[in-house]
Amino acid sequence: MAAQSAGGGGRPTVRTLATLLGPAYVWLLLTIFLPLSAMLYFSFLSDVPVGAREAELTLENYAAFFERDFYRSLMLRSFQLGAVVTGLCLLIGFPCAYILAKSIKGRAREALFLLVILPFWTNALVRVFSWTMVLRGNGVLERAVNAVFPEVGPLGLMFTYPAIVVGLVHSYLPYMILTCYVSLQAIDDDVIDAARALGAGWGTILRRLVLPLAAPGMIAGAVLIFVPVIGSFMEPRILGGTQGTFIGTVIEDQFTAVFNWPLGAALSFLMLGFVLALFALAAPAFRRLDG
Amino acid sequence: MSGARRLALLGRAYLALVLLFLYAPVIVMALMSFNRSPFYTLPIRWTTDWYVKLADNDALIAAGLNSLLIAVVTAVLATVLGTAAALAFRRYDFPGKRLLQMLLLPPIAIPWLIVGTAMLVFFFWIGLGRGLHAMLLGHVALALPYVVVVVSARLSAFNPELEEAARVLGAGPWQVLRHVTLPFLAPGLVAAALFAFAVSFDQFVISYFLAVPGVSTLPVEIYTAIRKGFTPEINAISTIVIAVSTLVLVGVARVYRFGSAR
Amino acid sequence: MGFARQGAAGRAVQAVVMAAGIVLGMAPASAQADEIRVLNWQGYGTDEAWAVEAFTDKTGIGVVHEYFNSEQEMLTKLRTNPGAYDVVLINSAYTRQAAGEGLIQPIDADGMAHVADLAEDLGNHPNLVFDGATYGVAWVWGLTAFAIDTQDFAEAPASIEVLWSPEHAGRVGWRDDSVEAVQMSAIATGQDINDPTDWDAIRDRLRALKPQIRLLWSSENEWNQFLAANEFDLATYWSGSAARSAREFGLPVRFVIPEEGAIGWLDGLSIPAGAANVDGAKAFIDWMIDPAFYVPWDNNVGAPASANAKANAQLPEEAFNRAVMGDAGKLANVQIMGPMDEPLRERILALWQETKAYFQE
Repeated sequence: MAAQSAGGGGRPTVRTLATLLGPAYVWLLLTIFLPLSAMLYFSFLSDVPVGAREAELTLENYAAFFERDFYRSLMLRSFQLGAVVTGLCLLIGFPCAYILAKSIKGRAREALFLLVILPFWTNALVRVFSWTMVLRGNGVLERAVNAVFPEVGPLGLMFTYPAIVVGLVHSYLPYMILTCYVSLQAIDDDVIDAARALGAGWGTILRRLVLPLAAPGMIAGAVLIFVPVIGSFMEPRILGGTQGTFIGTVIEDQFTAVFNWPLGAALSFLMLGFVLALFALAAPAFRRLDG
Repeated sequence: MSGARRLALLGRAYLALVLLFLYAPVIVMALMSFNRSPFYTLPIRWTTDWYVKLADNDALIAAGLNSLLIAVVTAVLATVLGTAAALAFRRYDFPGKRLLQMLLLPPIAIPWLIVGTAMLVFFFWIGLGRGLHAMLLGHVALALPYVVVVVSARLSAFNPELEEAARVLGAGPWQVLRHVTLPFLAPGLVAAALFAFAVSFDQFVISYFLAVPGVSTLPVEIYTAIRKGFTPEINAISTIVIAVSTLVLVGVARVYRFGSAR
Repeated sequence: MGFARQGAAGRAVQAVVMAAGIVLGMAPASAQADEIRVLNWQGYGTDEAWAVEAFTDKTGIGVVHEYFNSEQEMLTKLRTNPGAYDVVLINSAYTRQAAGEGLIQPIDADGMAHVADLAEDLGNHPNLVFDGATYGVAWVWGLTAFAIDTQDFAEAPASIEVLWSPEHAGRVGWRDDSVEAVQMSAIATGQDINDPTDWDAIRDRLRALKPQIRLLWSSENEWNQFLAANEFDLATYWSGSAARSAREFGLPVRFVIPEEGAIGWLDGLSIPAGAANVDGAKAFIDWMIDPAFYVPWDNNVGAPASANAKANAQLPEEAFNRAVMGDAGKLANVQIMGPMDEPLRERILALWQETKAYFQE
């Protein structure tokens, strides 16, 4: 999403484009777009067209979203969750990436960079279950806090909205650190030194130099976090208790609790539509950030 | 320069805090693999029984090796395909470019459950069937958008005048790619490959629908174990995975200093 | 329905799929003669290592497993992989649907020595035997009600109302499952679980859970962990799992069959249409209802009650499945989950989702 203006800007030959883009998009066509087109088609049907079921074209599945209030409130809630998690990842992750890229040198930086990525290689479900062990009553965190401050008592963190946010931020924070790091690292230290030598303060350097250059990384990270968080269902289910119902869990149910693929597909495509609309609205801001 | 030093110290303290947050559950996971209680109750009563049990669990170990194989192949394929696409987006303007970029979003946005179901139905329709080959097709597709986004973020900081200069000095297109573009891209490529590896290594739904009986991956084993209750054996294999990954990455870092490559 | 009974377009698709499969040499994996493929929940009896070993020793037939995580997933796997499985576990509430879609075939009990020992009311249950044929062999059955942490109760409660009691506000665990949620409420409001009529009463009951529920669980594993962590006083649960929590894991659990009744469920073993090894499948199913398999399974691991009356009778006298469950006929207030059409399932799901959205207000 980051590459806004073409670097070379030249008119490529069809052959060049086909060589560079062909393999990736043919692959995606076969494994994602064609299967999803089938799903998109299903979303306009009254039933899944396998077997004797009479399936007819209908808008009912899309209408259901507007007829039932709770679908709308859950969709909104999912977008809010996406914003909160993305915002926190940015707030926590950007400074982290900056320190890693600019303040630490040599072997230590390599080691720390690897340390940031490693948790990301553990299984997501194992990670979430580990959080339940940390957060739950009489769990690791409660015991630790009460060992130091005995008067605190039970923390009651498990099965709350914050528990979901903690689990998701933990899962997605490495995305932000990684993408910010990759673009921050491309900024020449000499440029920053020169600006400082010319008397620019930290605030100015950050605002005028670092943030614009790091924007592509921040945007890439935000996209990679915001989009999947909206559709997440596993973390909310396990960590959220009664607070864990979102549009993602509702969609999942259409496939696992009932055989209602058309409704599940319609809700997902609506979700995708809202995401794209949001990005279209934000595009001017992205472009400005991109410089 | 005591002000700057204090700032650097503060930065390091902050980094340590973030790492603590990132590692809290990983450490708990590892500790619990040494805990006798199958319900992860505290206080810990130490044991290595779960590792002994794991050693006898051929299915779990075979699944782990399958996961590793698919993830490595996925990382290589997705990085190559995705980087080529990112270069095209960066370098050229052409009709339909925005659309192609937008098309990278559905694989990330549509919940994997739906993509997985769609793949299962579609692969069956076209007679591709299930198995490791089908899983690999799916994994590469899911990892591709991540690679394109990460490599694009790196490329956007690239100064095309460098390539121009090389060309003026008489370098051919492949030489420019090898000696100018790729070295600059290296950190982005490594990050993208790590992403792709992680996406594949953790991918459950696609593998779940596309696996044939008897062939499984680690996430599939873990997820299907939920109903009965997954035992600390799963913590044990996860701990081993983390330990081995650490060793491998440290080895890679020794050979190639990608963390600081420019 | 399935691919056998669909319209012309469907048949065309089927033909293409088959042709493509044959051309590419990737026809749905078919089992070898000396192997059967079983589709089941993981850790649910059929994959006990000692049992599979004994079966292979006896018959020379190997057993390969594949697992599912929900009934819908099981059906989807059957629909998209015809011929890939020889034995499938189906909750009998879904057996009619599976047969109706042409996913499973009638079973001829010839040569199955233990079928004659099945309890009359289970072996011939209308969920499994219909249209003059047997589509599933009754295997095990159990109850869904609730279980208590015995440390939190001086004596076991008798009524289902305890789930709504202010005394346990914020201390109740509840399974995140729409059908179970609605059926528990149907029992509490004195209705037929398979055909409730007073939906407003059910809706009110579900909403009244808002102050009660501490957590929503979805797997036995979570249930055990949260009980061990003392997150709840009592929670909805399954009888077989309660036996396992107590026996295999030594947790302070007691299953309660409330006076208002409980949800009964009956699991059957079926043979998918197009199974490659029907004889092997029948031999395996017969082994699954053999007391020689069931008794050690319940004694050593913990299991639901067997549909084989002789098997239950061989359990130790104090065993839960013999002492409490006895045979199905004695539990008069148990309603067995019956078939449900999809519009009803969808209505139930929407009600539960709406309730969960209400919990968050």
